Amino acid sequence: MSLRPESRRTRVRIRGLSVWLIALLVALVATIQIRSQAEVERSLVGVDATSLAFLIDDLHSANDALASQKTDLTNLRTTLQSGQSGAADQALSEEAQRLRAIDGYVGVQGPGVVMEVDASGLTALDLEDALNNFMAARAEAIDVNGHRVVTGVAVEQDGGGIKIGGASVSLPWTISAIGDPQKLAEVADLMTQQLRADRRVRSVGYRIETEVVISSVISERPFVYAVPS
Amino acid sequence: MSKLAGVALLALVALAVGFVLAGQVRAELLTPSNQVARYQALVHSVQDLEATNVDERRQIADLRGEIDALESDAAARSATTQALHDTVSDLRAHAGLVAMHGPGVEVTLRNGDPGPDSGSGTGYLVNFQDVEDVVDLLFAQGAEAVSVSGRRITPLSAYSGSAGEIVIDQGPPLTSPVKVDAIGDRNRMLAALDDPNELPGVRARQVQFQLHLTYEGLPDISVPASDSSLQVPHVTAS
Repeated sequence: MSLRPESRRTRVRIRGLSVWLIALLVALVATIQIRSQAEVERSLVGVDATSLAFLIDDLHSANDALASQKTDLTNLRTTLQSGQSGAADQALSEEAQRLRAIDGYVGVQGPGVVMEVDASGLTALDLEDALNNFMAARAEAIDVNGHRVVTGVAVEQDGGGIKIGGASVSLPWTISAIGDPQKLAEVADLMTQQLRADRRVRSVGYRIETEVVISSVISERPFVYAVPS
Repeated sequence: MSKLAGVALLALVALAVGFVLAGQVRAELLTPSNQVARYQALVHSVQDLEATNVDERRQIADLRGEIDALESDAAARSATTQALHDTVSDLRAHAGLVAMHGPGVEVTLRNGDPGPDSGSGTGYLVNFQDVEDVVDLLFAQGAEAVSVSGRRITPLSAYSGSAGEIVIDQGPPLTSPVKVDAIGDRNRMLAALDDPNELPGVRARQVQFQLHLTYEGLPDISVPASDSSLQVPHVTAS
């Protein structure tokens, strides 16, 4: 029994159509996949959406801080441009006092938090992490057990103890930080929760204060190697 | 014969479909177009904010330059103002607001190599703690001025970020390779970098994750002035 030529042609046509349909499907899937991959690769490689959201939040905060600094500098420029008698002296005196506070050369006071940690076995790295957390929350001045700390002051492990700027510091630590009390308290709260889960820690707590007084200062070091460009 | 060819072609196409689908399933299915669109929207937001960030920091650097020039003009007219200006210039240099140069070391941190079991082809990613450890060591060895991939470290600098991204102050994220430039006694800094007892965390990650740490002493290194905010609205000098 042989099929009629018309029926055979129909079957060949259907088969050909099936092959084209499948080929089309393969091409479609491959194209979508390649385009999707290309879209992703063109952007921030390996960064997931959640990290991007955090990055956006961080950049917003950073840009707000930069805008605020720009406003301050613009006002200062306007004052200096006015050429009023004593304007430059006034601006320079205020700037000198502000920079002395930033460099840690003078005692300072202001709102902030005081955190107390009693433990055994905490290392310089633990203290550095805590200090960096406060700095990231925009602490403007920090003191640990009567030793002023700014970025650049060495916090080193010294056997079982810790040295800050070459001076020995033993536990318990009292960390005083001046800045936005709300931001500093958020960080202090997170660190307190983490430290309470640490077996080395006997007690930890913090308090918000309207007036934290830091009287410790850093000795000014003259430049020996670095020269202004 | 043509029937056989047809069947073979069909089998071939079916095989190709199978491979593509299997690859797709392994790659966690197709990225839906709306998901790509949402992702792209986030990416565009990041790119816009980074562009604004660059622009704001450039304007801050320009403003600081203009202010310094105006102060210099005023200082030229009065000895008192000149003395004040000299004091402020020195304090600004210590606060990282002046570009500096001098002998020092350059340390480079690079992501680790992907291990043989790493399916994604990604190795260890340099993070902010690696950078912080290196910067702290250099300051402990007397570094007088430090920058990280062109970002000057100031007395108020802070490090943050997730794996593979290092955020310093208000700058955009930095990624590998990260270059730490430090001006100071290069022999002392190099000796510390050579000391196997220093940087224990970084050295452990060198062994475990093939994190790359290289360094060299250089006769003249330049570090830029900070272009970040140095506002301290809550402190009052005693």
